[in-house]
Amino acid sequence: MRRISREPSVVITLALLVGLMFAFIIYPQVQVVLVPGLGGYVSFLAEQTWVKPFFNSLQVMCLSTTTAVILGFIYAYAMVYSKMPFKPFFRVIGVLPLLSPPFVVAASYILLFGPRGVISYFVFGQSPNILGLGGLWGVQTIAFFPFAYQLIADVLARSDARMEQAARNLGAGPWQVFRTITLPMARPGLLAAILMTAIYIVEDFGNPALIAGQFTVLPTQAYGLISGFGDVSGASVVSTILLLLALALYITKTRIEGQRSYVTISGRAGTIPRPPVPMIVNVFCFVACSLLAILILMVYGVLFVSAIVEVFPVKWTPTFKHFEFLTSNITPMQNTLVYGTVAAIICALFAMLLGFLVQRREWRGKRVVDFIAIMPAAVPGIFFGIGYATAFNQPWLDWIDRGALITISMIFWNIPVAYQAAIAGLQQIDRSLDDAATSLGAGSLRAFRDILFPMLDGALLTGFVTAFVRAVTTLSVVIFLFTPSTTVATIKIFQLINDFMWGGATAFTVSVVGVAVLVLVLVWTISGRRVGLQRTQ
Amino acid sequence: MDNITRREFLKMVGAGAALTAAGLAGCAPTPTVAPTKAPVAAPTAPVAPTIARPTGKLSVYSALNETTNNEFIKAFKAAYPGVDVDLLPMGAAGELQTRIRTEKASPKCDVFIGGSSEFHDPLGKDGLLEAYKSPNAATVDATFKEANGLWTGWYIGIFGFVLNTDRFGKEMANVKKPATWDDLLDPAWKGKLVYPDPIKTGGGYIFMAAQLFRFNKDEDKAMEYMKKLHANVAQYTGTSPQVIQLVSQGQFIGGLNWGHDILTTKAQGLPIELIVPELTAFEIGAVSIVKGGPNLTAAKAFVDWVLTPEAGALNVKLSNRASVRKEVPPAPGAPTLDKVKLVPYDRQWASDNKDRILKKWQAAVGM
Repeated sequence: MRRISREPSVVITLALLVGLMFAFIIYPQVQVVLVPGLGGYVSFLAEQTWVKPFFNSLQVMCLSTTTAVILGFIYAYAMVYSKMPFKPFFRVIGVLPLLSPPFVVAASYILLFGPRGVISYFVFGQSPNILGLGGLWGVQTIAFFPFAYQLIADVLARSDARMEQAARNLGAGPWQVFRTITLPMARPGLLAAILMTAIYIVEDFGNPALIAGQFTVLPTQAYGLISGFGDVSGASVVSTILLLLALALYITKTRIEGQRSYVTISGRAGTIPRPPVPMIVNVFCFVACSLLAILILMVYGVLFVSAIVEVFPVKWTPTFKHFEFLTSNITPMQNTLVYGTVAAIICALFAMLLGFLVQRREWRGKRVVDFIAIMPAAVPGIFFGIGYATAFNQPWLDWIDRGALITISMIFWNIPVAYQAAIAGLQQIDRSLDDAATSLGAGSLRAFRDILFPMLDGALLTGFVTAFVRAVTTLSVVIFLFTPSTTVATIKIFQLINDFMWGGATAFTVSVVGVAVLVLVLVWTISGRRVGLQRTQ
Repeated sequence: MDNITRREFLKMVGAGAALTAAGLAGCAPTPTVAPTKAPVAAPTAPVAPTIARPTGKLSVYSALNETTNNEFIKAFKAAYPGVDVDLLPMGAAGELQTRIRTEKASPKCDVFIGGSSEFHDPLGKDGLLEAYKSPNAATVDATFKEANGLWTGWYIGIFGFVLNTDRFGKEMANVKKPATWDDLLDPAWKGKLVYPDPIKTGGGYIFMAAQLFRFNKDEDKAMEYMKKLHANVAQYTGTSPQVIQLVSQGQFIGGLNWGHDILTTKAQGLPIELIVPELTAFEIGAVSIVKGGPNLTAAKAFVDWVLTPEAGALNVKLSNRASVRKEVPPAPGAPTLDKVKLVPYDRQWASDNKDRILKKWQAAVGM
C-alpha cells in the first residue's frame, strides 16, 4: 500500500471527493438525525413501538437476502459460464425488476397472486393471502436479486479463466472446479452482494408498503409516521435505527472479509476461453433463468395489459386513452431521463475514483470514508430527501437550480452500488500492474487513468446501470425536492395511483420502463463493442 | 487537477455545470420577483383597496386529486388572470406537511390546500402558518375552521365502507349489507375485510377514534370492538387507497375507507358500492397560508376564491366531497353530514391521545 502524502495531486483529489461526500451525504443526514432532539429519542425509544418492526425488518432481511443472493448467483453464473442461448434477452430481464417504481410492481404481484389473482385463483383456484411476510419475501427476492446478480456477474466475468483451465487439466471435475476455484474467486463480489442486498432490502419502503400488509417494517413505520400523522420526529428516530443497523452489517462484513487477497487478473486475462460446463448445467441454467424470466414478464405483462385496456380486471376494451397522460406530461419524462443519465455517469466515475483511492492507497480515516460511501444505501430514500430539503433549502442557497439539486441527490444516493462494484473489481486486479506504472514514474492518478480504469469497464458499467435504474425509479428521494418544472415520472405515477387511475399509472410506467430499457440496450451495445475490441487486441 | 480521470469525466462535469446554469437562468428570478411585485399591486389600485388585484406567481401545494387540480387552477385563473399558479401536486397530505416543515428556512409555498385539518393544525401550532380570516369564511360553521384563522375548512369527507358487489352477491347472499359498524363483527366477514392500518394512515386512525367516541370514550369497550373486528380483518394495508384498489379488484369483499374516494373509483365502472354505516366520522378538508411565502396577496385571494360557492361546487363535482357551505348541493349519491348519523367526534382529544390509543390497540390485537 502506498502512502499518498508525497503526491499533492492525489491529496487534492481525495480532499475534493471527501469534501463532496461530507457536503452531500453527511451534512444532509445530520439534519435528519438531529430532528428529534435527545428528548425525542428517549421518549420514542421508550414507547417501544419500533421493537416489532425492528425484528420484522431483521427477519425479512435475512430471508430475502439469502434467496436474492442465491438467485443472483445462479443468474450470474448462467450468464457468465453457461452456454445458454438468448443471453442478451436474459441480460435485459436481469435488470427489469430494478426498472420500475416498486409500488406499481407490488400491485402487479397482487393482481397475479392475490386472493383473486389471475394466476393464483383463476388458474389454480387458490386464494392465498399474499399480503404479509410470505408475499414480501417473494417480492423482495425478485426485486433485489438484480443487485446481487450485477455485482457477482462482474466479478465472475473478470476472474481468470486460466486457473479454471489449469484445474481442469490437472484432473479436477466441474463441480470441484466450481467449489474450489469459481466460488472462492467470487468471494469479493459475493460479500459485496450480500451486504448491499441486505442493506437495500432493509431500507426498502415501496414493496413492504403495498405487499406487507400489517407486517410492519421500519421504513413503512417511518413513512406511516410522516404520511399518516406528520410525525417527522418519530420517523427520524426510525431512520437513525436503520443507519445503526447498516453500520452493524458493515462491521460484520469487514470482519468476515479480513485481509484476504482476491487477485485474479495479472495482466493478460481473457485470452483463454473458460472450460465448458457440463450440458446438464447449461440446461439447468437455461431452465432456471427462463422460469424467472416468465415470472418477471408476467409481472410486466399485467402492467402492459392494464395500460392498454379500459379498466383492468373489469372492462377489457382496448384503448390508448391512458397514454394521454403521457402526452400531456412529457416534461416529467424528459426530466427523468436527463437527471438519471447525468447522475448515473457522474456517480459511476465518482465511485470508481473513490474506490481506487480507498482500495489502493493508504491514508488515515479510510475506513470511515469507506462506510460513508455505502451509508446512503441504509438511508430510506424519504430521509435522504428530507435531509436535502432541510439542508439545501436555505435563503442563501436559493440560487441552486432544483434540477441540479435533484441530480446531485441521485448521484450521492446511488454511490453505494457503484462503489461496491468498483471495490470488488479493484480487489481482483493485481497491484503489481499499477505499481509497475508508478515505478516507471507515473503519478497515482495517471496509473489509475491509464492502467486500472480501462480494466474496470465492467465495474463502471455496473455502476452506471444500477445508478441509472435507481435514479429513474426513485420516488422517495425526490418527493421533497421536486418543483412543478422539475417533476419526474415517478412522482406522476405516484400521483396517478393515489388518484385511483391505475390505467394512467401503468401507461406511464410502461413508457418509463420502455425508454429506460432502450437507453440500457444502447449503452450495452456501445460498451460491448468496446470491450470486444479490447479482447481481440 | 486536469489529470484526475479521463476526458469524459471533465466533459460530464462540464455538462453538469451547463445544466445547472441553464436551469438557473430559468428559475432564479422567481422567488425575488414575486414578493416585490405583490406590494406594488396594492398602490396601483388605491380606489378600491379591498379588491387589490393580486399579480405575480402563486405557489400552491395541493393534496387534491389530479383532475381536481387541473380544473381548479383553470377556474381560479379565469377569476384572477393576473396570477400565475405554480401547482405542486401530491396525493398525500402528510408529505406536503413534512415538506412545508423542511422548507421553513426559506418557504417556497404560499398556499397549502387539501388534506384533512389534522395535517394543517400542527403546522399552525408550530407557527408555520399565516393567520387569515377570509371574509368568505364568515358564514362557514365554526366547527369547520380554526379559531384564529390559521386554517379554514372548505370541504368534508365522510368515512364509509366499500363493498365489492360482485363477490358480496355471489358469496354472501345470506348476509345483509352492513348498516352499523357492529354488523362487521359477523363471523361471515372473517378474512374478507381490509382496513387501512391505523398506525400508518390518517383514515385508519379516524375510524378507530370514531369507535372510541361511539362508546363514549369507554376505551375497554372500544378495544373489545377492535379486537373482535381484528378477527375478521384479513389485512391492514399500508396506504389508504390500497383498500379501495384491493376491494375493487375483488381480492377482498369489504373495506373501510373515505366515501368520496370510493365514489370516484366506482365511477370508473368498477363493481363496488359505498355504504355509510351509522355513527361514522368525517374529516375537514382545509386550506391554509404558509407564513413567509413569496406572495401573500395572491395567497389570500386564492383562499377567498376557494371559499366561494362556485369553487365549492366545482370541487363537489370533481371529487365527490361535500362543501362546508350549506348552499352547495352534494354530488349525486354522495353522503352529506345532515343525512348520515355522525359520532360526536372530538378532534382535539383524538389527536392528543393518538399515541396512547394506538399502543393500547396494538396490545389488544397483538400486533
